[in-house]
Amino acid sequence: MKEKKKIGSKIFMALMMIFFYAPIVYIIIFSLNSSRSLTHFDGFSLRWYEKMFSDRTMMQSIVYTIVIAVLATIISTIVGTITSIGLSKSKPILKKTVEQINNLPIMNPEIVTAIGLLMFFSALGAKKGFVTLLLAHIMFCIPYVMLSVMPKLRSLDANLADAAMDLGATPFQALTKVIVPQIMPGIVSGALIAFTMSFDDFVISYFVTGNGVSNISILVYTMSKRVNPSINALSTLVIFIITVALIIVNVIPIIKQKKEKRTR
Amino acid sequence: MKKILPIALSALLLMTGCSGGGKTATEDPIEKYGSDKLKLFTWGEYLGENVISNFEKEYGVDVIVEYFDSNEMMYTKLQAGDAYDVIVPSDYMIQRLISEGSLQELDKSLIPNMDNLTDGVKNLAFDPDNTYSVPYFWGSVGIVYNKNNVPKDLIEEKGFEILRDTDYAGDIYMYDSERDSFMVALKALGYSMNTTDDAEIEEAYQWLLDLNSTMNPAYVTDEVIDNMMNGTKDIAVVYSGDATVILDENEDMDFFMPSEGTNIWCDSMCIPTNAENPLLAHEFINYILTYDASYDNSITVGYASTNDEVLNEIAENEYAENAAYLPRDGYDKDEVFEDNETMRQKLSQLWLKVKAQ
Amino acid sequence: MNQFKRMAYPYVAWIAVMILAPMLMIVMYAFIEKGNDVTTFRFTISNFTKFFSDKVYIDVLYRSLYVAILTTIICLLIGYPTAYIISRAKPKHRTWLVLMITFPTWINMLVRTYAWLGILQDNGIVNTILGLFGIGTVKIIYTNFAVILGMVYNFVPFMILQIYSSLEKMDKSYIEAASDLGANKYQCFWRITFPMSLPGVISGITLVFLPAVSSFFIPKLLGGGQYVLIGNVIETQFLTAGNWSFGSAISLIMAIIIMISLYITRKLDTDPAAAKGGA
Repeated sequence: MKEKKKIGSKIFMALMMIFFYAPIVYIIIFSLNSSRSLTHFDGFSLRWYEKMFSDRTMMQSIVYTIVIAVLATIISTIVGTITSIGLSKSKPILKKTVEQINNLPIMNPEIVTAIGLLMFFSALGAKKGFVTLLLAHIMFCIPYVMLSVMPKLRSLDANLADAAMDLGATPFQALTKVIVPQIMPGIVSGALIAFTMSFDDFVISYFVTGNGVSNISILVYTMSKRVNPSINALSTLVIFIITVALIIVNVIPIIKQKKEKRTR
Repeated sequence: MKKILPIALSALLLMTGCSGGGKTATEDPIEKYGSDKLKLFTWGEYLGENVISNFEKEYGVDVIVEYFDSNEMMYTKLQAGDAYDVIVPSDYMIQRLISEGSLQELDKSLIPNMDNLTDGVKNLAFDPDNTYSVPYFWGSVGIVYNKNNVPKDLIEEKGFEILRDTDYAGDIYMYDSERDSFMVALKALGYSMNTTDDAEIEEAYQWLLDLNSTMNPAYVTDEVIDNMMNGTKDIAVVYSGDATVILDENEDMDFFMPSEGTNIWCDSMCIPTNAENPLLAHEFINYILTYDASYDNSITVGYASTNDEVLNEIAENEYAENAAYLPRDGYDKDEVFEDNETMRQKLSQLWLKVKAQ
Repeated sequence: MNQFKRMAYPYVAWIAVMILAPMLMIVMYAFIEKGNDVTTFRFTISNFTKFFSDKVYIDVLYRSLYVAILTTIICLLIGYPTAYIISRAKPKHRTWLVLMITFPTWINMLVRTYAWLGILQDNGIVNTILGLFGIGTVKIIYTNFAVILGMVYNFVPFMILQIYSSLEKMDKSYIEAASDLGANKYQCFWRITFPMSLPGVISGITLVFLPAVSSFFIPKLLGGGQYVLIGNVIETQFLTAGNWSFGSAISLIMAIIIMISLYITRKLDTDPAAAKGGA
């Protein structure tokens, strides 16, 4: 009985993975296509990579995208988590109000948020560029973080933090050693979602940026004329960068552990 | 570890920022133009491969390019007060911007290369004396069709009506733009595409409804290029410049401009009133009209050049067999779009109804 | 406990500026006459009546809701089992599985959707494979199926992440206790696991339904321009038609509809622990 279930689960997961990665594989393969076509593979070629690397705007957009996404994720995760914890101890009315307001950027069509911010920044006379872009990203990322963290806080045992403080912990210790570890999955998934939303954002970014600051999505969208295969090359490069980053992040602790073992 | 990250990031930004714009100019741009930065706002994929880098090297400046994919998107950003030095809107949008006082009059003494302009783009209704705009690319709207599956005489006979020929149901691409689709309908019915007559518009609306229900068309925008290159369908409404590229890649395809007339469009360079570097902007416009820059643009993008020499050179050589490159000139039934706010709203609404049915 | 609640205040100030102010500008637009200048102030509800008086807009709204609900249900149906399987896997596998699910989402959504376009195209990969089996060209692009597929593909990772984080730190001792007391696997799941994962399910539904109902790019690309959803209409109003007032009005209408449906969904989440103060 258990064997059947295990195989069933494995098959299901395998299918899911195929589903998730079919387009990814496709992108990588077609980035190496020697012709412009996106449906017929005509042979291997690196020409699209050459084109991409020689395009200054493309390279800059990759850097901007990553920088904004990383900064926005870090800031929104910290702020979102702190606020969620604060709200969980606040009056229900405040909590509900904030939740409703938080829903606004998530629920509005992006174009609406985009135009709203455009009008807002213009009214303030703010010069659009990196800063306005970052602010906008933080603005729409925090609600996602909170949406992830709040459910975890609800399932939390409220008394543990109290107990810790009764036993002599400072509020800060209660926070970092009791509450945060318990809601960590929520924080992590919130951070992941925030990163994704920022990394991929087009509509809002397009309208709040300026001064030549653009991200990958803006570039891809405005290059839709020939669905330039360089876009696939760009995406493959991004895939490569992220994979390398992930490997580094995962391999470093293992190397550290090995070092520690040796020094014992 | 924590310190390395910001340093690495800024280094990365600096590297990518510096890989272009090597300043080898002989004159100091700041002395001559008051600035060494130019902000260009143009269509995505509208520039030749070396156009920007050559300009930067020759004049010792930095060009910041931002892209848009529709006139309306450009307009929205302009409205919000973003200051650009050179913008490249389309005919009707230029008309609108002129009427709103958003464009500055050009100092033609700074743009001697305007003499290079081909006749087809002179005296166009939206800016007859080129007081505010200098043409960048131009073209028409026509039909791309598969020579093997659609007989040439059938297309010549039917013109735009071929789009309602039920033999090709499910096999056509319509352009997802109310402006262009209504143009097709109005021309097929023999009316002016700038009409404000309600009855004519209603007829065009019915024409489109009929097309939608009997032909099961696919409404696409730029995906049509890749699809027709692969011969996914047999007939499509396409801009001439895109058609040039399609025909170049797929020998089975041919291009046709109907006898009922079609739309002649023109995208031109303008300088907004709030431009921060108008002198440099004029220089850039002048530069685009040079033979080399014009050639680079036209050959890379496939759209018809506004430089007379370049236009003829390419039409007679690289694209000699390509029916789409050279726009039809002087045909009295071809029209240029005019801007009209009421019509815009009306067509927009009707268009939604056509598609949503 | 009091100290903690103060942590929320900075953010409350922030949202007043960054979220409310822009929204107020949109609301303002919804109630004024056409024209992009804020100075042409004429209070009117004509934008709203325009929306409800034309059947076409209602049709589009229904279709958008239909697509969004269907997408959400499918995301739930395939997302929950996936999250469940991951939460039962060995701890070191779990992180990897979560990463593998999230990884595709970091690749630009436009590019991934273009990839599906290529895969599902009439002369694309799927049809080429079917051709090998002698099956004729199956038209997938420009159908409901293609749009839903694209939408589910884009949103299901969010659903999975939300449900997973609920399941992961769930106290397994409850289940042990229940089975010790004689509950079978089914009962354990439906009476204990599922209800305890409900907060995750609810936020997963929120994260999928809301953007789904206003998306425009995926339906446009995979369904063709003829597949008009309310997101497309709003986009057109703001960009092509230049009618910001009408666009704002439609957005408000949508916002209200969504708020109502969210309210109903939240009511379903009758978690007794949440009803008590604190959490």
